[in-house]
Amino acid sequence: MSKAFFIDTSRCTACRGCQVACKEWQGFPANFTKQLGWGSHQNPPDLNCYNYKVVRFSEHKINNRVLWNFFPDQCRHCLEPPCKAAADHYVKNAVVIDEPTGAVVFTERTKKIPNEGFLSMKEYCPYNIPRRNPETGVINKCDLCFERIEAGHIPMCVKTCPTGAMNFGERGAMLSLARSRLATVKAEFPDASLLDEDSVRIIYLITLKREEYHDLASLKNPVLTRSIG
Amino acid sequence: MKLTRRELLAVAGAGAGAVALGGLGIHHLITESYSKKLKIRGAKEVISICPFCSVSCHFIAHVKGGKVVSTEGDPGYPISQGALCAKGATMLSMINSDHRLVKPKYRAPFSDRWEEKSWSWMIEKLARRIKDTRDKHFVTTNAEGKRVNRLDTLFHAGSSQMSNEEASVVVQGMRALGIVNIDHQARI
Repeated sequence: MSKAFFIDTSRCTACRGCQVACKEWQGFPANFTKQLGWGSHQNPPDLNCYNYKVVRFSEHKINNRVLWNFFPDQCRHCLEPPCKAAADHYVKNAVVIDEPTGAVVFTERTKKIPNEGFLSMKEYCPYNIPRRNPETGVINKCDLCFERIEAGHIPMCVKTCPTGAMNFGERGAMLSLARSRLATVKAEFPDASLLDEDSVRIIYLITLKREEYHDLASLKNPVLTRSIG
Repeated sequence: MKLTRRELLAVAGAGAGAVALGGLGIHHLITESYSKKLKIRGAKEVISICPFCSVSCHFIAHVKGGKVVSTEGDPGYPISQGALCAKGATMLSMINSDHRLVKPKYRAPFSDRWEEKSWSWMIEKLARRIKDTRDKHFVTTNAEGKRVNRLDTLFHAGSSQMSNEEASVVVQGMRALGIVNIDHQARI
């Protein structure tokens, strides 16, 4: 078994059902949100140790038309996870790959990773996903709901998605679904593309040019400008 | 032992997992130390309805020891087919919230505190107030002397969870009292 998601942002309405369902499944508390003064409806403003998913909003005015891109951001579960390489350097097997699903799982052992190690995990991650719980010291992120998958359920965010933007299945099936959707979507959005489909398990379809989304949506973006911390 | 379809899938999944891990030998030890117990394993499944909009999505509440431990969409409900929006996805928090009202509360005129009351006390009180208001403000004729039999001082807010038939009965009840201000909860 090797699992994957296909996230079709052409279908995403930013209802944030996935974001909330994930929190409920994980049993996470509420977060501080920011409504005013920063020019976005994205909430909470970023991923944090109690939000494994956040729907990112990118707003543009192109040819006098407002375009609002939604992007349900989360860990990509890389086929060769650089965060694991970074973590193993400090605490062996603090990050493991769940063989039946391919999920990259941060264990309780991440507590023992020093701050320097945590920063290097964040730096290694092309998408800036790992977050540390300031109280427990555990480093966490999406676990692909690997325990739900092994018990015969589908991941919570996929289960709850009302529009069909979130899809889950065998990696081969998701890749072919992604390619066939891309062909369809291209008729309306010629700039549509898939993101990093060869190196990750969470495959995104975007409708506009890569630059119209947040900085770290894909590997192809230069990593020079991103901040660490 | 009788297994539901879901439990059967769970058992089958666990078996497949065990076989895969057995083949990997050493990985087995690592796996044991990161796997938590699935919180819905062995839970009773109860179907309930999201109270927000008129789609009335069914959701499954997983109950363990009399407590709801998880909620998720019900794939058997034909409209949403297991999906839930951001509001429907919060059923677990809503059910277990400290802010949730589970008993009727009454705040007397000019009082600054809420008192807990029984349902029978509350229904009696409501009936009294409705009757008194109607007796006091019922209008039989308008300024032109036309018969109107109208009650302007009560307002009814309907529920998006009601069927056409239930809504019909409620509206007839409201009309019988003379209430003309009838609207819907979903517009508030």
